Amino acid sequence: MRRLTAAGVIGLGLLLTAGALVLVFQSDHEEEPVLVAVTQLLSAWAFILGGLFAWARRPDNRFGPLLTAVGLTVFIGALYESNSSLPFTLGFVFGGLFIAVFIHALLAFPRGYLETRLVFAIVAIAYAALTVGSLLTSFFYDPADDCAECPPNAFLLVDSPAAVSAIDAVLIAVGIPALLASLYIFHRRWRAASAPLQRVLLPVYVTAGATLLLLAIALVVESVSEDAGFALFWAVRLTFASVPIAFIIGLLSGRLAREGVGQLVLELGEGSAPGELREALARALGDPSLRVAYWIPETQSFADADGNPVELPDGRGEELATMVERDGQTVAALIHHRSLEEDPTLLEAAAAAAALALENERRLVALANAQARIQALVDAFPDLIFRMNREGEYLEYKGKEEDLAVPPEQLIGARAHDVLPRDVADQLVAGIERAIDTGELVTGEYTLELDGVPRDFEVRIVKARDEAVVIAREFTERNRAQAELERLHAELVQRHRDLEHERDFIRTVVDSAPSLLCLVTPGGFILRFNTSLERLSGRRDGDITRGHAFWDVFIAPEEREAVRRALEQVVEEGGRGEYESNWITVSGERRQVAWSTTPLRDDKGQPRLLISGTDITERKRHEDELRSSRARLVEASDIERRRLERNLHDGAQQRLVSLSLMLRLAHARVESDPEGAAKLLAQASDELGQALEELRELARGIHPAVLSDRGLSAALEALISRTPLTVDLELLDDRLPEPVEAAAYYVVSEALANVAKYAEASSVAVSIATVNGHAVVEIADDGVGGADPAKGSGLRGLVDRVEALDGRLQVESPPGRGTRIRVEIPCG
Amino acid sequence: MPVTVLIVDDHPSFRATVKALLLADGFDVVGEAEDGRSALEAVKRLKPDIVLLDVQLPDMDGFAIANELCRHNGGAPTVVLTSSHDESDFGPIVARCGASAFVPKAELSGAALRAVLR
Repeated sequence: MRRLTAAGVIGLGLLLTAGALVLVFQSDHEEEPVLVAVTQLLSAWAFILGGLFAWARRPDNRFGPLLTAVGLTVFIGALYESNSSLPFTLGFVFGGLFIAVFIHALLAFPRGYLETRLVFAIVAIAYAALTVGSLLTSFFYDPADDCAECPPNAFLLVDSPAAVSAIDAVLIAVGIPALLASLYIFHRRWRAASAPLQRVLLPVYVTAGATLLLLAIALVVESVSEDAGFALFWAVRLTFASVPIAFIIGLLSGRLAREGVGQLVLELGEGSAPGELREALARALGDPSLRVAYWIPETQSFADADGNPVELPDGRGEELATMVERDGQTVAALIHHRSLEEDPTLLEAAAAAAALALENERRLVALANAQARIQALVDAFPDLIFRMNREGEYLEYKGKEEDLAVPPEQLIGARAHDVLPRDVADQLVAGIERAIDTGELVTGEYTLELDGVPRDFEVRIVKARDEAVVIAREFTERNRAQAELERLHAELVQRHRDLEHERDFIRTVVDSAPSLLCLVTPGGFILRFNTSLERLSGRRDGDITRGHAFWDVFIAPEEREAVRRALEQVVEEGGRGEYESNWITVSGERRQVAWSTTPLRDDKGQPRLLISGTDITERKRHEDELRSSRARLVEASDIERRRLERNLHDGAQQRLVSLSLMLRLAHARVESDPEGAAKLLAQASDELGQALEELRELARGIHPAVLSDRGLSAALEALISRTPLTVDLELLDDRLPEPVEAAAYYVVSEALANVAKYAEASSVAVSIATVNGHAVVEIADDGVGGADPAKGSGLRGLVDRVEALDGRLQVESPPGRGTRIRVEIPCG
Repeated sequence: MPVTVLIVDDHPSFRATVKALLLADGFDVVGEAEDGRSALEAVKRLKPDIVLLDVQLPDMDGFAIANELCRHNGGAPTVVLTSSHDESDFGPIVARCGASAFVPKAELSGAALRAVLR
């Protein structure tokens, strides 16, 4: 409330006071002007001042203004003292308005507003009765009936005491229950209030209740006895005037309590056990349910004195939280009844006074919390923990007794050297000294034999003031587990290496194998293929080929459909399939491949088809050549037979037939023509000689006897002796296998025949040698060259004969530069 | 009148020997031919009683010539096949070709031809 407002109210009050005094003391119809003036002023100013006090204390609460309004409206009653008709009438009608405002203020106390419909209804009835009700009365009441000196009623319509009585009866019938209801509400509120609030409420409710009760009684009694009623109204005025005084007394008792809080907390601040502060605050604030929640910065939450977490009320229930701060930092929260909100200054004072003590307690609680957490951690450790001094004396321990080197009763007070082997004790004490001197964490390991079992310990030593905390952890089991783990790991690594080697081996085999390998999906789509297939096809295994149909990439167009169907069939029926197809390279070359399919599963268990093939193009070509060679050999043999047959038929056979006929003719002429017979016999003899020569020649052509009997060199010498060519012969002394000699002989024989027929050579060189287990025959001439084995059957037949012995025949015959035939035949 | 003979063979010495033999035996050797084509022409021209026909000629098969000569009934000569091989070397074709007889060359004589004519 602003000072200006207060000054205005007081000024108004003084004006009204002056007016009222004038009216009272000039009144013709007031018999007790002094008494009236005193009681009116007393009660009016009691309310004005009480109201201003309340207003100043709680500016946001309407109770103060309402109380002030009560005081100001009291002055309206002074108009009744006027000697003029209208002011007198207005005083009559509205002189009781202050009672309605009074009831309004009481029912709005302490919150400043009307809380329930009942309360609102009571207030409405009060206002209606004391304005409309008295206005109605004024229409029928003639003051002259009771007061001869009173001015006339300006509002009088009809002088009707009956109507006035009826209206009074109605007002009493409505007003008394309303008054009683108000009393009931006071009672209920008082019961519900907290102790400190009760202290404030009690004087107000007692005086106000008494006022209202007396008023109700007065109303009833007045209808029976005006004198008694009149006396009671005076009592009402007195109790009425005491209400604001009672209000101030109530507030003062609260202020006294606040001072008590400060004093108490100051005492507690000097030192108190956790919990005592709460009780002191509860007592001081009159709220036994008060709780203290301490702010724990580490957890950013509130906790009670025992460290249990506390949830602050959300402000919607009966409890509220008031923060206690110290140096701008939250220290704690006071959780109290909502009613303490009525006296925020009390709470603030309590909070401020308790801040130091609460800060101390908060620290204690935080420390207890931290200790509890640390203890929980320590309890959770499986380790042995010792507190030891610099000399290595055991001061305290925590852990399992069976892990101790000596029974616990012997341990405390003993020194490390008393209970541990010397080397271990030396190590431990040195570690303790170092930890204490340097503040560093010292670690070490040692082995102790406990109950005959060697056990490994890992020790950590940390400084704790001028002592050391020694944490010993057994790791025997861990060592074993670690060793087992390492063994398993090594095994795993080895197995992994083995698998890698195996994988590399398989990869190498797959890549270096001559087989063409291609892995496809059951649908025939390429997943990957090996190096051999890369080499054959001229395609790289990669993104370009992967995912394409196998047949589209590798198979000749005219066979793709057949291959697609074959793969489909293999997938449907299972098992292996074996095929021969023309595969195609990236350059369009066709290669004949024998291939098969094998169903398998990959490392992820997916069904796959492995296509493995072998390039049989060369083999096929060799087979074809072999077939042709065999056919040519057979054909050559047939031709030779026919030639022999023809030679025999045309040669020796004809001569023998003729010889037979000549002999028969000679025989017939022996006697008749001896001379003719003798001529015939001479002819027959020539014929026989020629027949013999032809047979010899023929036999030589079939297989020279000298070759079989005396070997290649002799046979070649005989052959050369019959040829007209000049031959430079280089022969071999050793015999060769018979088929080799025969082949070599016929090669030389055929070659020399060709030289004689076509070469126009002046000289020929024939050499026979053995080189690396091969018979090497060379026939070289200085003729015209240009010989081609593919053209003549003679050379072709020689090639076949040589190849039949796994040999090789080469012809070099550049035109004009002679011909060189070289034959190599294995002798093994 | 002596029986006329045409000798068909590609070997001149054989033809000369047979001619001398048949002449000695009273046959009239009216002509000689060294191949099939000239043999057929000589038969038309000389109309011999007997054609002594070698089975193996350089241009034609003797059986085919015999078949040709014997197709014309009436006026056809008696065809006697001969060869340095035996008849069994040729099989049933000897009987089917229309020739009257097969006489191996080594057994040729005037008596053998007369036996055929009978």
